[in-house]
Amino acid sequence: MSGSRLTRRAFLGGAGAVVALPWLESLSRVSSGVARAADPLGAPQRVLFYYVPNGIHMQAWTPTMVGSGYDLPEILTPLANIQGEVSVISGLANTPGIPDGPGDHAGGTSAFLTCAHAKKTEGKDILLGISADQVIANAVGAETTFPSIELGLEGGGNLGGCDSGYSCAYSRNISWAGPSQPLPKTVSPELVFDRLFGGYDALATEEEKAKRKLYRTSVLDYVLGDAQALQPKLGATDRQKLEQYMDGVRELEKRIESGADELACDPGARPEGPFDVVAQVEAMTDLMVLAMQCDRTRILSFMLGNAGSNRSYDFLGVSGGHHGISHHQGLQENYDKLTVIDTWEVLQFANLITKMSQVQEGESTLLDNSLVFFSSEVADGNSHGHTNLPVLLAGRGGGVHTPGRHIQTSANRPMADLFLTMMNAMGVPETEFANSTGALDLT
Amino acid sequence: MAMKGPWGALLLALAVAAGCGGDGESPSAEISQDATETGGITSAVDGGIGLDEVDSVGAGPETLGGGEVVTSWSPLADGDPGRVTLHRLNRAEYDNTVRDLFGTKLRPARDFPADDQGYGYDNIADVLTMSPLLFELYENAADMLLSEALALPVQDSEVWHMEAETSQNTVGGMSGANAWNIWSNGEVYDAVEIPADGDYVIRAFACAQQAGPDLAHMAFYVDGLAVAEFDVPNGPGDFDTFEATIPMEKGSRVVGVGFTNDFYAPESGEDRNLIVDWFEVEGPIGLTLDDMINPQREAILVCAPEGDDVETCAREILKGFGQRAWRRPLTTAELDDLVALFGLVLEQGDTFDEGITLALKAVLVSHHFVYRVELDPDPESPEEHPLTDWELASRLSYFLWSSMPDAELMELAAAGKLNDHDEIERQVRRMIASPKAAALVDNFAGQWLYTRALEDSSPDIWYFEDWNETLRESMRAEAWLTFHAFMREDRSLLELIGGSTSFVNDVLAEHYGLSDFYALPGTFVEVDLTSVSRGGVLRQGALLTALSDPTRTSPVRRGKWVLGHLLCSEPPPPPPGVEGISEQEIEAKSLKEILAIHREDPACAACHDAMDPIGLGLENFDGIGAWRTHDAGGVIDPSGVLPGEQEFDDAQGMIELVTSDERLPKCMAEQLTTYALGRGLEFSDYAFVEDITAEFVLRGHRFDELAVMIAQSKPFRMRRGQPAEEGPSQDTEEAP
Repeated sequence: MSGSRLTRRAFLGGAGAVVALPWLESLSRVSSGVARAADPLGAPQRVLFYYVPNGIHMQAWTPTMVGSGYDLPEILTPLANIQGEVSVISGLANTPGIPDGPGDHAGGTSAFLTCAHAKKTEGKDILLGISADQVIANAVGAETTFPSIELGLEGGGNLGGCDSGYSCAYSRNISWAGPSQPLPKTVSPELVFDRLFGGYDALATEEEKAKRKLYRTSVLDYVLGDAQALQPKLGATDRQKLEQYMDGVRELEKRIESGADELACDPGARPEGPFDVVAQVEAMTDLMVLAMQCDRTRILSFMLGNAGSNRSYDFLGVSGGHHGISHHQGLQENYDKLTVIDTWEVLQFANLITKMSQVQEGESTLLDNSLVFFSSEVADGNSHGHTNLPVLLAGRGGGVHTPGRHIQTSANRPMADLFLTMMNAMGVPETEFANSTGALDLT
Repeated sequence: MAMKGPWGALLLALAVAAGCGGDGESPSAEISQDATETGGITSAVDGGIGLDEVDSVGAGPETLGGGEVVTSWSPLADGDPGRVTLHRLNRAEYDNTVRDLFGTKLRPARDFPADDQGYGYDNIADVLTMSPLLFELYENAADMLLSEALALPVQDSEVWHMEAETSQNTVGGMSGANAWNIWSNGEVYDAVEIPADGDYVIRAFACAQQAGPDLAHMAFYVDGLAVAEFDVPNGPGDFDTFEATIPMEKGSRVVGVGFTNDFYAPESGEDRNLIVDWFEVEGPIGLTLDDMINPQREAILVCAPEGDDVETCAREILKGFGQRAWRRPLTTAELDDLVALFGLVLEQGDTFDEGITLALKAVLVSHHFVYRVELDPDPESPEEHPLTDWELASRLSYFLWSSMPDAELMELAAAGKLNDHDEIERQVRRMIASPKAAALVDNFAGQWLYTRALEDSSPDIWYFEDWNETLRESMRAEAWLTFHAFMREDRSLLELIGGSTSFVNDVLAEHYGLSDFYALPGTFVEVDLTSVSRGGVLRQGALLTALSDPTRTSPVRRGKWVLGHLLCSEPPPPPPGVEGISEQEIEAKSLKEILAIHREDPACAACHDAMDPIGLGLENFDGIGAWRTHDAGGVIDPSGVLPGEQEFDDAQGMIELVTSDERLPKCMAEQLTTYALGRGLEFSDYAFVEDITAEFVLRGHRFDELAVMIAQSKPFRMRRGQPAEEGPSQDTEEAP
């Protein structure tokens, strides 16, 4: 799967002249000659990983039919209008998420994208693995201003190891840049907007932009040089801490150098708070679409809640906290509540992919050029299973996925196999990832 | 944290009633005075350079102000002082630091990602990570802070005049020579850059075409909200000025003039319209001398550039600000580099202010600002050495204030007088008396006593109909005031946990069923609560609620919390495959009966025999801390037996067992030491903690004594390098 991806420079070259237009028209012209084989539409490919907490009430989730035109059990009914763009995948397992003793939410969430087994600790020695989205970001993330974006709805609770002896880092993050470097997510829609589009100044002259860039990079060069000078005076642990800082500086510097202030897309109005959960998820949904539409990033992860979230769904008429209810004890009353909550979660996902399907990119849509993955840290919230996980996959990934099917994999096929497929769709020619056995064929 | 201001004031207003009973008994603390063996620390060579230079506190008896005799406590006893990793400021520390550095009300860290937590606290250096996102937010925060700090204050009011026909309009069209006819409900509007908070006059020159029963109605809008309304009696062409004075906030504001009562009768052709010629904004009006000064700017720009000596002044500014921001003097080379950044801006033809701004931005995004850097003479040597006075000043200020050192600490550091036994004591006492010590309540007590968790509690109103946000706020305030009084008023730890009083307002008085309570609404009064079986933090709404599930109490959580947070003896998590209690069971029996059944399993009993009775002793307090005598299973029996045949009848009896447990003072010493150092305790630290605990008990379990001793102790005042073999395991994963 060779083939050069469209570089940032080509992108700017094509779009720079028509700053006010949606960028894709110009981009597809420029890119037509360099499109990859697996990318017949010639548009950039995106991946998005969508996490929901506390598992799913599987009896109201799994379709009875396999193949295309599958039936929609109650929780999946929000997909009715867009079923042809979504596959349900049954049979996948993520067994590295099985914790040491209790702690299934932390274990499952840490393995969610890493397929790695978290070291049980509440202390400084957190150890996991790199996540699939970050493998992709390392390979192709440099083509956009933001190699990847991590979003969520719930910030950190302030207290406690979050789950039975597991550090909160395992419960609050699904994207990991390395075994001990979780990537924190942003939960404020305003802040996400400012990050994505803050540097955009339609009125600045070329000279002003150049000066602004010079000033910013001068400051960064200065602190970076100063940090380098400090390194030899530090012990090993301190050096590692300072290295994290320097990575942050370099990351920003790279972005400024690449001309991140040039935004060939009108982001529209900044979202305005205050946000309740419903408003927050709507704003985040719009921002995810916008980030991809404006090509600010091609790799996203999103947590609808933190691991074991005990959010109240009283706005759906459901009493009790989500985590508490998910320990359903086999009671019909709790099944009913879970069905309401899970259906709402799928509705949020359906809203996202519907919006993506409405963004035209030449002959295709944004959704056609994406793979959107949806799952949870466990299957059933009471038994905390890490096999036969609930998985949705939307979009065509430029042709690697034929959606609209209920796909039954062989029993306990590793989740890592699906991630390999997604990596390959993004032009990352990995053949192994974590406990993978080989890419899952979804065509 | 939002409470700091209001509660400080509130405390002054407190009517303190009732004496604090129940302090008669001291626990029979028989804690070994011997320094425990520090075996295993083979690399810890003895003091050498450190001890003699640092100070001369002997181990001999000494008399304190209170006449108590100090025993063999020796803060700098042999033993490994350990080391603290490069410490990133956490969110609270960042916000407090910029508050004290600039005098700003901005709180940029509220938008930073949540800090990770270790050992129960979010100020643990090893756990505080850095990410590209966070660095980016540091850059944004620096821009925001500097733009406020260096803003030129408004010196005079201004007028922004807008001709209606060239403004933006939602409806209407040109009428006559140069006015805008708004012919159905709509507005003309424009954005105005309001330079400062203050009062502004909005004016419109308007007339109307009248029709129907009412006069034409006009409204002024700021950012879409109607701020003034008028009847416009004037006929067509008969323009008049309408004005209103409106307070506005600094920033870009959309100011509009709108028509709100369109009327049109097609049969008669009657048509009511509003016609606006122009509108304007004038202000800020009523400027005082204070408004014309930006105190932040004055504090930073300590000189004005004159003639050719621009660079000298810049250097002076950067030197002063740099020393405060980096909490130590800058080296000449560091200063040269900052001045060079300033020079770059001038070379580009930009102003002095812009040059200073850029150099200050570098100061604020530097690792010297966002981390607390402590250096070892040899980073790989295990030999202990005292911290520099500057490093110690920061340790003290971040311990007690979660913020940067103030002028006095910096002066002492500059004079080399801080790393001294008596001086440290003086400073700690001074700092605890400062309002900034409220940070200890927010950040230490907020985590140790779990008050912060109250924010994340979500009691289910289907089960607890009395629950509301006012109650939550009241509970939070009660817990806050209780710890504050313990910290500031030399009260005993035993009283904090098991006293008979608490701080109550009208809302809590009702919640607790306290009759005969009288105070102005919202005012907190310290009262004796013996009559309603309360007093001390364990029976406060905040803790009882935070340790409950949304729909019911959780005796196991309550018991586990007491063991973990107050006695530092948290039981291990349950073995794999163990499920909690089913709701079905709860419907059928009392929690006490259910838990008793669970404890019949010996595997469970080992831990639950200690946890459950404590929690069950608090069963008279429901999931939001209200008193009850019955639960689903019938009458509640709060009596129980703790390991060692310790029987108690009720919550009061259970709490007395806790307060007489010798693990309690030791646990608090461990907790506060962990927080003070910003690192987890190592084996070698426990000898110091044992010594401190013994002294803490002798000195009446008082917070300030404990804080003084921790600050005087070796792990707080000294450090060592990190031999290569102690370093972190090398990461195999390296980003390409």
